[in-house]
Amino acid sequence: MTTAIGQYQYDQVDRDFLAARIEEFSEQVARRLDGALTEDEFKPLRLMNGLYLQLHAYMLRVAVPYGTLNAAQVRAFADVARRYDRGYGHFTTRQNIQFNWIRLEDTPDILRLLADVDMHALQTSGNCIRNVTSDEFAGAAADELVDPRVHAEILRQWSTLHPEFTFLPRKFKIAISGSPNDRVAARFHDIGVIARPGDDGRVVFQIFVGGGLGRTPIVGQELYDSVPEERLLATLEAIIRVYNAHGRRDNIYKARIKILVQALGVAAYRNEVEAELAQMDIARYRLSPEMVASIEARFAAPDLQAPEGAAAVLAEQRAQNMVFDRWVRSNTHAHRSEGHIIAVVSLKPPGEIPGDVTADQLDRLAGLSERFAYGELRTTHLQNVVFGHVRQDQLYDLWRGLVDVGLGAPNVGLIGDIVACPGLDYCALANARSIPIAQKLGARFADMTLQEQIGALQINISGCINACGHHHAGHIGLLGVDKRGEEFFQMTLGGRADDQATVGKILGPALPEDDTVDAIARIVDRYLQERSGQESFLETLKRVGEAPFKEAAYDTV
Amino acid sequence: MKRAVRVGAGEGLVITANRLLDGAIVWLSADHTWQTAIQRAEVLVSDAVSERLEGVQSRAQADGVVGIYEIAVRPEVGGPVPLTMRERIRAFGPTVHPQFAYEQQEGAGA
Repeated sequence: MTTAIGQYQYDQVDRDFLAARIEEFSEQVARRLDGALTEDEFKPLRLMNGLYLQLHAYMLRVAVPYGTLNAAQVRAFADVARRYDRGYGHFTTRQNIQFNWIRLEDTPDILRLLADVDMHALQTSGNCIRNVTSDEFAGAAADELVDPRVHAEILRQWSTLHPEFTFLPRKFKIAISGSPNDRVAARFHDIGVIARPGDDGRVVFQIFVGGGLGRTPIVGQELYDSVPEERLLATLEAIIRVYNAHGRRDNIYKARIKILVQALGVAAYRNEVEAELAQMDIARYRLSPEMVASIEARFAAPDLQAPEGAAAVLAEQRAQNMVFDRWVRSNTHAHRSEGHIIAVVSLKPPGEIPGDVTADQLDRLAGLSERFAYGELRTTHLQNVVFGHVRQDQLYDLWRGLVDVGLGAPNVGLIGDIVACPGLDYCALANARSIPIAQKLGARFADMTLQEQIGALQINISGCINACGHHHAGHIGLLGVDKRGEEFFQMTLGGRADDQATVGKILGPALPEDDTVDAIARIVDRYLQERSGQESFLETLKRVGEAPFKEAAYDTV
Repeated sequence: MKRAVRVGAGEGLVITANRLLDGAIVWLSADHTWQTAIQRAEVLVSDAVSERLEGVQSRAQADGVVGIYEIAVRPEVGGPVPLTMRERIRAFGPTVHPQFAYEQQEGAGA
């Protein structure tokens, strides 16, 4: 197997472990089918392997560790979509991919297919530490201080099958970034970690704790400003031990760490962590420079060589093609290396399902990554895909390839870049459909000139209070609610997930599904009337307050 | 304890589940077999549901179904129509992929 860029390389131990787990699950499936296991006995076992039973079929959620993929893995997804699903995959808001039409009896074969490309579905469900998420621009962004992937991998290895943390009071989510510009929603995670270089050049970590969305949205609080690298694992271990010991197991709605942190207060929580650290064998958890280096050595780095004049080629192509130029404005990010650029592929073509990709599109994305991005792709928690390292003189050809496969929408960060959970069309927990309203909004604002005129505006839609669509963090958030069997949407304004993380504020009574798109259109119109100069939606909202938007939303005359 | 599903005048109940092998939605018919089309579901009155549920629960493994429960429907000429959006989506397929809509009158059993 060729060495993949930007990813930890499995060894035989990793592969043997996965193979053993699949055989174990295969036997469990057989025992379920022959009746040796009841559904109640089998359910926790299948969930440990990422297999849910949803409305229409089983759903398999595959972990994408810190959002990094190689071309072979993306082709394997295409293969699963074609052979075992209905030709689609769906990228989630935790950088994973899920397949919505899976048969129980096929699952062991699917897991074997995935294991062939070093992938699995472990810890994508259950009350354990879930897939660690990271910055989709890791190792590439000009504004990055530390590449977070090495430490993300360390966290992955530490948290995978952690014997003490397999049955926590509730699920546990960790995100890590190495940029001061938070792109991972660190403050909305159970633990959010921001890495930066310390005074001595070694990495230190700012740690937030007790953030989350769901039923009780809370912005995480800083527990530590600068944990030294060698104490990272000990500190995280202590934080989760305190949660494991004191988290509420008696009430599922109060079981997340955020409730405990709120109940104790962050200072008292810190005291508990310190007390735990004081009685731990710290040496056992010490993350030595040698250990970090050994993990780092398992990552291959791209040989970033761009020809002289690459930037000039891009400038010339932008000048010649306005459509391409618009896409570059919205869908690219500055790269750390001269002559390179980061490209974001929007999985939100107007009127389509956010995060859905066809098997053919997956194959094409894999091919484009090999031609233009060192065979590497990343997924984002905003349900898009990123090519991390693209030569500027090749960006135009990449864009042409994306347009050919229907993935050239120039709307990243704009109103058409809607985040939505699967909602009631697929999810057994949902109260309302998220996707149709996302499609209607996408179609309503399909005009790319209008989208650019509106500017940065993030819409997030969740079909229930579990908030998989991160609606509390949307500039405009929609929460689907069920009123006597009919769908309504409660709107929030002003949410954001960056370094100024804020929970959106409820605007007023929930609106019938039929009125919601019009209400958002009126809010956007009012913003365009109210804004001063180049103010963003959030800036205008902050300046004028919610009153004009509330008036617009409920103005049905 | 699970709350009884309320039905209004002119409404009835049907019993549904997911098929163990593939998760497909199935409906209990009058001959006590599981069918993939809601049109074949037997519409029951409230009083008859508990006993019928008990019976099918005891045969769930043999029948290859999981997650058995009852839902309220409105009997119509083309067959029973669930009252809630959730159950309409289960009965007729996801609203966002027209190609995945369930074929009506399809009759394959569980």
